[in-house]
Amino acid sequence: MLHYILRRTAVGLLMLLALTVLIFTLLRLTPGDPIDAYVNPSVPMSAADLEMLRTRLGLDQPLPVQYFAWLGAALTGDFGYSIQYNGEAVLPLVLSRIGPTILLMFSALAISVVIGIATGIFAAVRRNRFADLSLSTAAFVGISSPAFLTALLGLYVFAVILRWVPAGGMLTPGAPFSIGDLLAHLILPATLLSIGHGALIMRYMRSSLLEVLSQDYVRTARAKGVREFWVIVKHAVRNALLPVITLIGSTIGIAIGGAIFIESVFDWPGMGLLMINAVARRDYPVIMCATLLTGACVILVNLLTDIAYAAVDPRIKVA
Amino acid sequence: MHRRNFGRLLAAGTLFLAATAMMPVPAMAQAGKTIVGGFDVGPGGFQGNFNPLTATAGFTWLNTYFEPLVIYTSDLSKLTGALASEFTVGQDNLTYTFKLVQTNWHDGKPFTSADVKFTLELAKNAESGSIFAARLGDIASVETLDERTAVVKLSKPNSAFLSVLSQVMMLPRHALSPVPLKEVAKSQWWSTQPIGTGPFKFVKYVSDQYVEMAAYEGYRGGKPKADRLINRYFANAAAAVAALRAGEIQFTFAEPDDAKTFKGNGNFRIIEGDSYVVNYIGFNHRAGIWNDPRVRQAVMYAIDRNAIVSSLYGGAAKLANCGYVAPQLLPKGLSDYAYNPQKAKDLLAEAGWDKINGDKPIPWLTYYNTPQVANVMAAIQAMLVQVGINVVPRALDVPTYNGIARSEKWPDFPLVYAGLQNGPNPASLNIGLNAAQIPPAGNNIMRVEMPALTQALNTAMGETDPAKADAKWQQVCKEMNAQLPWGPMWVASRYGVVSGKLRDFFWTPAPAGGPFVSHPEKWDIAP
Repeated sequence: MLHYILRRTAVGLLMLLALTVLIFTLLRLTPGDPIDAYVNPSVPMSAADLEMLRTRLGLDQPLPVQYFAWLGAALTGDFGYSIQYNGEAVLPLVLSRIGPTILLMFSALAISVVIGIATGIFAAVRRNRFADLSLSTAAFVGISSPAFLTALLGLYVFAVILRWVPAGGMLTPGAPFSIGDLLAHLILPATLLSIGHGALIMRYMRSSLLEVLSQDYVRTARAKGVREFWVIVKHAVRNALLPVITLIGSTIGIAIGGAIFIESVFDWPGMGLLMINAVARRDYPVIMCATLLTGACVILVNLLTDIAYAAVDPRIKVA
Repeated sequence: MHRRNFGRLLAAGTLFLAATAMMPVPAMAQAGKTIVGGFDVGPGGFQGNFNPLTATAGFTWLNTYFEPLVIYTSDLSKLTGALASEFTVGQDNLTYTFKLVQTNWHDGKPFTSADVKFTLELAKNAESGSIFAARLGDIASVETLDERTAVVKLSKPNSAFLSVLSQVMMLPRHALSPVPLKEVAKSQWWSTQPIGTGPFKFVKYVSDQYVEMAAYEGYRGGKPKADRLINRYFANAAAAVAALRAGEIQFTFAEPDDAKTFKGNGNFRIIEGDSYVVNYIGFNHRAGIWNDPRVRQAVMYAIDRNAIVSSLYGGAAKLANCGYVAPQLLPKGLSDYAYNPQKAKDLLAEAGWDKINGDKPIPWLTYYNTPQVANVMAAIQAMLVQVGINVVPRALDVPTYNGIARSEKWPDFPLVYAGLQNGPNPASLNIGLNAAQIPPAGNNIMRVEMPALTQALNTAMGETDPAKADAKWQQVCKEMNAQLPWGPMWVASRYGVVSGKLRDFFWTPAPAGGPFVSHPEKWDIAP
């Protein structure tokens, strides 16, 4: 077992190393560098000034030298300094953005799960009636609406026209922190982010529940005189939830992708906004650190999964 | 429970949840008189940069807490004193004497000539990460005659010196001198505890969200009327406009199409101003297809600039027949290159355009990504194809554009649609047109090599007497008009939108955000 774990760990580390080479190379293949991103072409900047800046950032060094310098520092936990964020240390900067993204993502997930499951049950119970048709149509609209459209439309209607919620940001600038203020800023982006996911859950819940409701054991429960509420809640919904739970787990990735987009529309200071700004400004240290951490998480999870499988299934060790 | 009742219960629950989610949720109110703006939105802004030595823009905001020695007046017509109460240029055109105002830094320490010497030496030293190093390279020495007098000596006359100096914000020697030179650029001091001499003092920066300032009660111009000033960050100008409409901020830069939507709305005031950026069609002189001046003239004659300005800019742009539009810089007798497609065709035929390029597609790069510019380029494309020039517009992000334009791959950028700052100091154009500025030496990315133009630029650059300078810059304009190193198009207006709640607020769309005299201490907000 120990040998297996060591072997998988070594493979994981090699993958991580390969990932750093890949990111580093791809970044350098994109046209322009941080200095090109730094300067507005309309502003007269001398090439000498730009070269001085390039030299200071070490961008004039050959690529292998730059890579090994970065790798050497990264191994000691020093991921360098952000070019766009006024020399802020990269690691604390990236770590500080994980919280807001998780908050936004899981709030959206919670809303989509609650609304999706509730409306899915309701639509199944009222099958082929007005409510079912309306909810199914709304779900189709939700699934087919591109995130950029719902986000911009939602921002315009609820923040600009109705002024129900703030038009972006995570907290009111200059105001003392309060949970109410945070929720006021969170509710709109989280709700908009939940639309697509919630609609998908609703569709799955409806069809799964309809299938369960036609099962013999449900008919038996009704024949025994169990009240309809308990038939649905206790017998049908619990079984119908199984494929929906699988769906929720497997679509968290979609929620992450959506969160990145929503963050840029609502100026939500999470990983998405950080990454988008970093790519736009060719902030190499931030891009490297953020993608490396993300990659490391994925590799670590896979590694732990492999180890867990190996622990419960001895055949894997042999393989 | 009956199935129908269960359905009703679920429906009620879901509706309640949805209604609760969409209930108006009040955000926290800011205490005291607080002005919130998108001060770093748009081309004049630079979100996330706090170090004035590395600032290529963002001077409107930086100038609320830092101050330079000299500054442009509100109408950007001339330089006036800021931390220098008066300044004189010696007979030799090399010695600049600055008499300093009596004021204190935000921490109460006095501002002295030692701070001036420290700042200028820091700014001209590339080791500090300063992007002013090359432009201040003519400084031979900085002397402190007394606490209130600083003397700067140049190694050669430089007409742009004072203009460059207007963007060099004075820094506190006592706070920054302990920081090792190489650590200055990435020091956390800039974004955690900077001190200046301006009307507002730094409170805090919330990463990617906002910067907060508080009134500096000891400001020499009087205590600011607003208690706090907040610079909110936005991913783009449209998001800032949405926040302005929602009443969350009181000012932002706005794209022309957005600004138009505020017309006739009594709750807002639109500020329109000269962008001081001349837009041009840039001919890559190493691409091999623009060498014949008749081809460049044909491009000018083929474009109906009046129609574009009238229909796509709504009249809010001035036609440019050289790099300048300021009346004092325009000599008499300039060709106006009035729309004449037949003349364009004739010129192309004379030049043998069929053999030079014919109807082969010519990539036409730009870094402008606004719908307005996309429409402008589409209109020009349609006009040029009428005379036999087949251009293909391609919009890129800034780093990609800069990466290509600074390379030596001529076929990748035979033509660009770009802009270059042409004021308030006319010397701004030198960097893009002087043959000595061809990369890697300089920033003449279109590789313009025209001896007469270079000579005119050198003569004008060496003239430090404002009374004589205009005539020298007129000669530059004349050469540009005759030789067409670029196809000059226009200088468009830029816009800001201000809430009607703001009082005595001043802003102008200065290139790089200025700085200019704006008196932030007088800005006020109605309750």
